[in-house]
Amino acid sequence: MTSVPQIIKTNQLGKIYLTGRVQVEALKDINLAVAPGAFVAITGASGSGKSTLLNLLGGLDRPTSGVIEVKGKKISEMNREELALYRRFGVGMIFQSFNLISSRTALENVELPMIFASTAKKDRKLRAGTMLDRVGLLPRRHHRPAELSGGEQQRVAIARALINNPQILLADEPTGNLDSRTSREILELLAHLNQRQGLTVVLVSHEVALAREFSGEIIELRDGRLESQENIR
Amino acid sequence: MKISDYLELSFSNLWKRKLRTFLTVFGVTIGIGALVAMVGFGKGMQKNMTESFESLDLFNSLTVFPSGPTSQRFGFDPDDQVKPEENPKGQNVILDDEAIKRFEMLEGVQSVFPEIRFPALVKYKDAEELRLVQVIPARIASSKLIKLEAGKPFGRDNEDSIIIARSLLRSLKMGDPASVLGQKIEIASIAFDFTAFNPMDIPSFLQGNKLPFKKTTHEFTVIGVMGEMGFGGSSPLQSDVFIPPGSAQRIEKLPFTNIWDLFRARQGTLGYSAVNIRLSSPRTAESVKRQIQDMGFSTFAMIDQFNQIKTSFVYMDMILAAVAMIAIFVASLGIINTMVMSILERYSEIGVMKAVGGSDRDIQKIFFFESSSIGFMGGVLGLALGWVVSRVINRIINFFLAKQGLPFLEYFSFPLWLCLGAIAFAIIVSLVSGIYPAYRAAKVDPVVALRHD
Repeated sequence: MTSVPQIIKTNQLGKIYLTGRVQVEALKDINLAVAPGAFVAITGASGSGKSTLLNLLGGLDRPTSGVIEVKGKKISEMNREELALYRRFGVGMIFQSFNLISSRTALENVELPMIFASTAKKDRKLRAGTMLDRVGLLPRRHHRPAELSGGEQQRVAIARALINNPQILLADEPTGNLDSRTSREILELLAHLNQRQGLTVVLVSHEVALAREFSGEIIELRDGRLESQENIR
Repeated sequence: MKISDYLELSFSNLWKRKLRTFLTVFGVTIGIGALVAMVGFGKGMQKNMTESFESLDLFNSLTVFPSGPTSQRFGFDPDDQVKPEENPKGQNVILDDEAIKRFEMLEGVQSVFPEIRFPALVKYKDAEELRLVQVIPARIASSKLIKLEAGKPFGRDNEDSIIIARSLLRSLKMGDPASVLGQKIEIASIAFDFTAFNPMDIPSFLQGNKLPFKKTTHEFTVIGVMGEMGFGGSSPLQSDVFIPPGSAQRIEKLPFTNIWDLFRARQGTLGYSAVNIRLSSPRTAESVKRQIQDMGFSTFAMIDQFNQIKTSFVYMDMILAAVAMIAIFVASLGIINTMVMSILERYSEIGVMKAVGGSDRDIQKIFFFESSSIGFMGGVLGLALGWVVSRVINRIINFFLAKQGLPFLEYFSFPLWLCLGAIAFAIIVSLVSGIYPAYRAAKVDPVVALRHD
């Protein structure tokens, strides 16, 4: 039987933070494997290391020990420039607080990753409009974040995360600031993207029930260690 | 990222904080305005100087003096810092017609004329003034050396014509230049007359009566009026009354113009006190000078003095620029302050830009473009401010000068290199000011920035 190539793989991954003179071990010996097109949910209590793990997978932070491999490339060994390229094209991220630029319109926010990718302005506008249409926000494209609801802002964030066609979407508590109905809508959108486009989704959530409903695999962290890994479907 | 994207991002970011951007740009504007106005003033003065030298053809002028210990006292102020180059042999060589012929033979020499001046009373109707009348050949009167405001130069060397300068016009209250053409002026000269002198009548002599002098009067027609002229330095023109040599020969006159001539006469070295040489080109000045010095004469070239003046102008430019640099230094602190404030305000935005793929270099460049945009706007506006201020100052100065009857003069000059250099300098200063903020922005940790509220 041939083994399926993993899109994300970690080996003995560890992260230690230094707060003042105190060392905090946020992650320890994390061995993880995510298959292409999977929808994986990472759950755990606050401070269990979920967001730290996601930041490491997203190339926003560097591990203290261990290896992270994404599509066969060791991102844990990349320099700052290479990591920027990885974030630009390899992975998309969305956050609990949406992290949209408040002074820019929805369309301009979606355009931002393409500016760093040196995409022509005309092409940028067209693609950003198409992407906003896919998340159902084309009519609201000229609105600034403050003029959009939480759910709409998260949709804009999803459009922005996917505009450079990454194969992986990392979602850090994307429903944390949303009501239950909107949370469900956002997760439905992620599940739709996962099923229709083969997008690999890694979702960090403390809402276990919701995570179980939409994901195919649940990983539980406790005190920075991988407590359990469970295939649901 | 494309340059157009950097520009668009930086201008839209600056536009978001209009007042702060305006105040920062204004700081740069004042600094660059001061720099442009001050350097422009230095350049304007230098340009005026060069143009007046060129218009009088002084770069083609060389003055020769007789050598020897008393030589340098003739023709110009002995306290003058610029001394003629003395004959190294220290011998006395007479500057006579023979010497003039030898000078005329030298390559690069266009014309030679001796500096002949004699004291005389210049009379017009009831007014009279004591002047040193200078003898100028017709060919020199037609050169660029004499700039006529009205009339024409001498046609021949032996005509009874006279050229006067505006200063004499005023002294004799003759009216405007055009109206005096054709008017008659009397030149009353004094000459030795020993026939009237009785050596036995010493008491009368000591009382000032029966001096051995006689006065002769000659009438001249005003043919030309020249503008204002200076009497200092070693300009070939040292008077405001000029007659041609033919007429001068007919006038009996004292053979000296100052006390040193008498000493020279006693030493048996009486010749011309100075000889002016017109060169075909300033390039020949050095070789002609060397050859004349080898003959034993002392020389003085205006171009040497001009080079010294130019060095002084460089110092003046540097001092003026240094003063303006203080304003630019303060402006650069303003840029640093604005940019650091901008980083603090846009901390989470920097985190977002990094999260979506912005590299350290991209972030750095965004901030560099912002600071250089401030510099560019400050540079352009500073240039405009400097120009406006210079116009106002120029008007004020000329207003007061016009009251004293002096002609309009442009005191500021803005050569293209100064205009482009000022803008480039503003951008460079802004870029340097942006180094620290840009470095700081590039080093922002995206994880921390994304958590930042």
